[in-house]
Amino acid sequence: MTSWFQSTPKAEPVIEPGPSLPLPPPTAAVESNDVLQRLAAREASMLEAQVNFLTPELLQVDSLVREAAGTLEDALKTLNKGVNQQHLLAVEIQAAMHGSLQGEGGGESMGGTIMGTLDGFVSHIAEISQSTGLLVEQVDEIRERSERMEEMLGELTEIAGRTHLLSLNASIEAAHARQFGAGFAVVAGEVSKLADRSTALSSTIQEQIRGTRQALERTDAHMQSIASKDMDVAMRSKEQAQELVQSLQITNFIVRDLVGQLEENAGKVAQQVGHVVRSLQFEDLVHQTLVACLKELGNLLDQSQAWKALEGRLAAGEPQGPALADLEAKLVEIEGARVQFRAVKSGSLAAGEVDLF
Amino acid sequence: MARCILTVDDSSTMRQMITFTLKGANFDVVEAEDGVHALEVAKGRKLDLIITDVNMPRMDGLTLVARLRALPEFKFTPILVLTTESDQSMKMRGKEAGATGWIVKPFSPEKLMDVVNKVI
Repeated sequence: MTSWFQSTPKAEPVIEPGPSLPLPPPTAAVESNDVLQRLAAREASMLEAQVNFLTPELLQVDSLVREAAGTLEDALKTLNKGVNQQHLLAVEIQAAMHGSLQGEGGGESMGGTIMGTLDGFVSHIAEISQSTGLLVEQVDEIRERSERMEEMLGELTEIAGRTHLLSLNASIEAAHARQFGAGFAVVAGEVSKLADRSTALSSTIQEQIRGTRQALERTDAHMQSIASKDMDVAMRSKEQAQELVQSLQITNFIVRDLVGQLEENAGKVAQQVGHVVRSLQFEDLVHQTLVACLKELGNLLDQSQAWKALEGRLAAGEPQGPALADLEAKLVEIEGARVQFRAVKSGSLAAGEVDLF
Repeated sequence: MARCILTVDDSSTMRQMITFTLKGANFDVVEAEDGVHALEVAKGRKLDLIITDVNMPRMDGLTLVARLRALPEFKFTPILVLTTESDQSMKMRGKEAGATGWIVKPFSPEKLMDVVNKVI
């Protein structure tokens, strides 16, 4: 066959049997050599014109189909790459959320960990607060004892005062007794001195105890304040942490839902990608069909050349008989060269059948 | 190590679609444009599966199947024919040449992977 078109060659191109070639029988119907010559020239011209018109059209279709397929292939690859990246991102997000909120391996949730830690913290604070409360009670007891001691010292001071008064009375009585009361006056004087010292000592002790009691009262106030603040802070921290954990759990739920939707979308896209892969094979099917058409056009061109050869021989004055016989032989040869089946039988892009031997 | 599949087709679109599908399932894929090229690519290579078209220039797919079967290293390698040809007589020729299975184009990725996983 004449090599007259530029395209990727396909072995055994496919052609469905067409109608028999129009071969005017060399009979009496052909009245003159001139008529037959014109007929041959017209047939050759028509066939050549049809081939020359259809060939670039089919080549253009083939080129457009190839370009479209190439563009679609590139788009498909880019789309698939994007979907794969989306899938990987979704998996990473899911893993990150799982790792941060569910814990790795232990099964204990982050929320549980936070709440457990805070419970321990609050318990610890509560224990401190309780101990502080006990200390406050003990301080109160010490303060009460101090107050009782102050009362007792007050009584001692009073006793010292009375003792001093008694010693004064004793001194007066000793003076009345003159020389007989001289010894007694000395004793009364000493008792008076002791009473003075006792009073002074009681005052000093009372002063010290008062100072201690005031210090205890300040300590008591501080401890009560600390205990109260510790509990307030702990309870507020716990409430805030609970809100935080709840917020994280809601976020986790939302993200998990979104990731699920992403995965579902990725699955749908993957399914569509499968359809695109199947449909893109139209390029191969169309190409094979076009190549078959182009080969058939080659046969038509051969026919045109055969008719042109007849015209030339008749124009040169050769007798009709041998020239027509040669034409007939050539046309039979061309018809025999046609492939009598179609490789592409499917009229749709539905997936083909599968046979395992 | 990923399994290696040779795909033979004179259509670059078909080769790309087959490669796209197989690589998506983590197979290594090598390509050839026709039977002659396929024999060159297959030489000295460990192949787990060969998928070939029928109508190709230089050497058609059925000749390729017969030539591969004559080589000891590919005597038992699964060979699938992927073609537009659907005539029973052609399928019989493929079976006689030594093909493992016959898939009519166009293929769907799911069906192709089903068959690949069955024969490999």
